[in-house]
Amino acid sequence: MCRAHAAVRHLVRGMLQEEEVFAIVDMEAGLEHLSRGTGRHVDVLVVMMEPYYRALETARRTVELGRELGVPRVAVVSNKVRDELDRRTVADFAANHGLEVLCEIPFDDELRRCDHRRLAPLDTNASAIGSMEKLVDRLL
Amino acid sequence: MAKKIAIAGKGGTGKTTVAGTLARLVARRGREVWAIDADSNPNLAVTLGLDESKLAELLPLPRTLLEETQDDEGKKKLELRVPPREVAERFGVVGPDGVRLLLMGRVDHAGAG
Repeated sequence: MCRAHAAVRHLVRGMLQEEEVFAIVDMEAGLEHLSRGTGRHVDVLVVMMEPYYRALETARRTVELGRELGVPRVAVVSNKVRDELDRRTVADFAANHGLEVLCEIPFDDELRRCDHRRLAPLDTNASAIGSMEKLVDRLL
Repeated sequence: MAKKIAIAGKGGTGKTTVAGTLARLVARRGREVWAIDADSNPNLAVTLGLDESKLAELLPLPRTLLEETQDDEGKKKLELRVPPREVAERFGVVGPDGVRLLLMGRVDHAGAG
């Protein structure tokens, strides 16, 4: 297991050294593939967050770890926001813990259907795409 | 200008949905994009919208691409033995909007068969 993690980490770090491309890494649930070495090759670590307490705590710990690993910018995306209570919960938590919120993605049943039908959200009319355009604006 | 983004989050948080969609939206704005799937349960191909025939061409990067080198202080480290672009062209596949998908999966040589 550890050897496999190490190999993936080195492969990822190697691929990130190509300067000319915009690279997006879909990570393991934890940060197994980020070491201090790899962290320096990543400009932004985006941590997914959902509006319930355990998920907020997990995201906060991941953000801390990302900062420890030397990633220059560590920020969160608030996903599956259903109502004003969700919005406030995330905003308050982020403010209290100094987390940068890149964007908020509303709960979208179309995304769930995409998952079931194994479709790319961009090839459907998922309304959450609009929020992800905002994410692109914040990252470019 | 070029940027490197890592996306993390527990299963079910929308990590792969955001990674795949983000990759294509950035590509639509004219950038060359590599989408790197480093999850041991790889699903990025789906949210990128790659079709089955393309998926069949996708090869996980083998560990044999790594070689041990030494830095100036004599510390050992593992590095790619070929330039990343060459690796990408050999092992990756190009999907909708021109995004190139690369798979870092744990499967070692099985993909070559």
